[in-house]
Amino acid sequence: MTVRRLRWPAILASLVRLNAVEELQYRANFIASVLATAFWIASALLTLALFFRHTTRLGGWDYWEVVVLLGVFNALTGVIEAVLRPGIGQLADDVKSGALDLVLMRPADAQLFVSFRRLDLWRVTDIVLGLALSGYALFRLGHVPTIWQSAAFLVAFAAAALVVYAIWVALMSLAFWFVAVENIAVLFDAVYEGARYPVSAYPGALRFVFVYLLPIAWATTVPASALTGRVSPLIGLGAAAVGAAAFLLARLLWRTALKRYTGASG
Amino acid sequence: MSAVAAWARRYGALIRNAWLIDLQYRASILLWVLWGVTEPAIALGIWWAIAGAGDVDGYARADFARYFFAMMLVNQLTIAWDSWYLDGWIRNGELNFRLARPLHPAHEATADNIAYKARSGTIIVLVWLIVAALWPAVRLPFDPARWALTAVAVLFAAGLRFLISFTTGLLAFWTTRATAIMELHAGIAMFLAGRIAPLALLPPPIAHLASVLWFRPMLAFPVEVLTGAVTGSSALLQGFVAQAFWLAVWYGACRLAWRRGLLRYGAVGG
Repeated sequence: MTVRRLRWPAILASLVRLNAVEELQYRANFIASVLATAFWIASALLTLALFFRHTTRLGGWDYWEVVVLLGVFNALTGVIEAVLRPGIGQLADDVKSGALDLVLMRPADAQLFVSFRRLDLWRVTDIVLGLALSGYALFRLGHVPTIWQSAAFLVAFAAAALVVYAIWVALMSLAFWFVAVENIAVLFDAVYEGARYPVSAYPGALRFVFVYLLPIAWATTVPASALTGRVSPLIGLGAAAVGAAAFLLARLLWRTALKRYTGASG
Repeated sequence: MSAVAAWARRYGALIRNAWLIDLQYRASILLWVLWGVTEPAIALGIWWAIAGAGDVDGYARADFARYFFAMMLVNQLTIAWDSWYLDGWIRNGELNFRLARPLHPAHEATADNIAYKARSGTIIVLVWLIVAALWPAVRLPFDPARWALTAVAVLFAAGLRFLISFTTGLLAFWTTRATAIMELHAGIAMFLAGRIAPLALLPPPIAHLASVLWFRPMLAFPVEVLTGAVTGSSALLQGFVAQAFWLAVWYGACRLAWRRGLLRYGAVGG
């Protein structure tokens, strides 16, 4: 008997459908999610307002430009909370407990399945509210993005999501080598805070950390700059290359790591 | 055996136990410390950049550096995760065997806190010493009296944050969103407890609100004592009185929530 390997669009569609059915049982979570997002956006805006009481520019960016970036940060957070944390974020635990066996037995691509098996769909509100915030800030800037700027933004945002995904794969893959790494996601949370502000806002040693050592700040700075026209839409090409490289690295790392997996009884 | 000796023996055993459990999770503790350090480091970075153009309401670059380093240390020494633990204990029924012990679960939680803070606080102090050796801006003047006052303020603040966290965790008797309430509190505390900026830089009505409520006593006050922002015996006395007052209020709230909550508690499988 041969097991037919399913095509990835079909797998993805059924995973989304399954998760939607599951999440619709918990509608109160939707309200809670929207309220939480509204609260965190308000608190981030208050933080910015506090900084801008004492300055007129942050790393050369004015208030509404930073708000555009904040919207992008929030949208990227939505991608992380809706897809990455519930999916790939559970990988370390699965490796430790041996639950990964159940995934590997399925006739589907294991990386695809692990990445999308569990979706926290209500957190998509973060993406929507974040982009709405960016839109409002663009309106306040009086800037209407051109088609090319919008396209560059979409590409850069997708590339940022891929880079963040690759970081999660890298962190979670550590579990294949050092079994007990259950809190490793905290490392990501700590570094991700750096993406709240434009790279140019960080002085001295911090700039070295967030721009070169752990270049997370680019993940929001590049899409926001493309949207406001701070950089040429050609940045989209560079972003696409970085995103593709990140995806290939994640794929390669997954394959290498999986070879180390010995299963629950191994 | 005297009562003091009995308690010392109990706490000795509890702390030893908590220390050994933590020992298995050394890497996790390092990660949590890192997480606690990045946020003030980023706030410091932004204020450092802003203060490059001149003092911000009397705060020069070096003042920000000292403030946020003191914040990292005091935050680590006063932080309490009990809300998350209690939420789990109550919802999963792990509270049951703790209730069967001849010792209130708050003592186990207190011992956990002492063991955790001894470890994470030491890490921060070491990091601070190393940084201070290279970077004069974060050095504190040698002043044992001030350090002694800071120790008292930190002890009060740790007690206060423990009671707030414990009480919020007890809300799990009534709701499944106890940890969400704690996160909401943490979000508000970002501003009102001085984690984003020294309270002196907030708009005056908000800074006033922070000192009327428990937010300044729970974090900003000990930080200000350590950096020397609070001077004069009346200001110091006022701060300590506010700490004692809110400690008493939260202690009352905690007792009340515990008594009422236990009456409602129908454990899993119980």
